[in-house]
Amino acid sequence: MPAPILDALDRQLIDLLSCDARVSNRKIAVELGVTEGTVRGRIKRLQQDGLIAFTAVTGFEMARKSRLSFINVQANVDKVRDVARAISGLPEINAVLITMGQFNITAMCLIEELDALVEIAQDQILTIEGVHHVETSIAVKTVKYNARMAKITPQAMIQDGN
Amino acid sequence: MRLTPERPVRKQLAQLRAKPPADMTQRFNFDATDVNIVEQLRLNGRANNQQIAERLGLTATTVSTRIKRMEDANQLRVVAVSDFTAHGFNFLLRISVEVDGRAASEVAHELAELPQVFAAHIVTGRYDIDMLVALHDFDDLSTLLLDKFSTVRGIRSLTPAIVVDIIKYQFDVAPIEGRD
Repeated sequence: MPAPILDALDRQLIDLLSCDARVSNRKIAVELGVTEGTVRGRIKRLQQDGLIAFTAVTGFEMARKSRLSFINVQANVDKVRDVARAISGLPEINAVLITMGQFNITAMCLIEELDALVEIAQDQILTIEGVHHVETSIAVKTVKYNARMAKITPQAMIQDGN
Repeated sequence: MRLTPERPVRKQLAQLRAKPPADMTQRFNFDATDVNIVEQLRLNGRANNQQIAERLGLTATTVSTRIKRMEDANQLRVVAVSDFTAHGFNFLLRISVEVDGRAASEVAHELAELPQVFAAHIVTGRYDIDMLVALHDFDDLSTLLLDKFSTVRGIRSLTPAIVVDIIKYQFDVAPIEGRD
C-alpha cells in the first residue's frame, strides 16, 4: 500500500474536521489562512482518495445495542476471503478483519443481549461453508477507543457521496 | 461452538449484569426528530442546517438546537473519520493479553496510555484484554514490545494477530468523551 502524500495543510484540515465536521468552509479558511476554494478542493480530494469520510457518531444510549462483542473465527485457509465476505454481508456485523494468528477472521458487532451474540455466532457464522470453529468474547469495559481513525472501505465512500 | 470453556455463558452473563457501563446510568431521550436529523447527518455530515431543515420540514433553528442538545449530552459527534493510512499506519495488530498478578483494568489503563494502542477493551473469555495497535511499519514492533510493553507489570502473555485485510469497518456508534 503506497503511503499517501499529505502535506501540513491536509493534516491541519483532518485535525479540525475530526473534532467537528460541521465547521463551515469559510471558518476553516479563516483559521488556516487559506481561501474557501482551497478548503473545498482539499476536502473533496481527501474524500475521493478515501482518506477521510464524514460520519455522525452517536453514543450508546441512542443505539440501545451497546455491547461490543468479538467473534473469532477459524475458517479453512482456502476459504478465508469468501467466509470474510459472507460475514461482512450480515447486517449485524460492524467490522470484519482478516488476520494471521490463532484465528483468521475477527468479526465485531454491537449487541443488546447475549442471546443475540450466540445467535449470530452459532446460527449465522458457524453455518457458513468453510467455518470450523467460532469463539466469542464480550467487551466488559472499553478503556480506550479512538473513533476518529478507521478503515475507510469503498462502501463508506459511496455513502459519503450522497 | 465453544463459548469459551473457561467462563461459561452463565458466568459471562453474571459478569455483564454485575457491571453496567457508566454511560447507561443516565438516559438521554431521543425523539423521532433527533433520529431523523442524525440520519441526515449520516448521509452527509457536512450538510448545513438549512439543507437538513428543508429535507425534514423543520426550521434551521430547530436543527441547530437539536444538534447542539445531542452534542452537549455527549450523545452525538459529527466528525471526519480518517483512514489509518492517512496517518501513515500501515501495520495493524490485534493483540490479546493475559493478565497475571494485577487487576486487568490497571494493566489496560497503562497500555491505553501508549499512543500506538488505539483501542483497548477488557473482555470476557480466555483473554483479559483485547487491543488494537497501529504501527507505521514492522520496525516499530521491537520498540513497542521491548521498550513499552516490557515495562507494564502484570502481562502474562501477548497473543498477536496480524491484520491482513479489513473487509468491513462501520462503526457509527461509539463511546463519546466530553469535549475538552
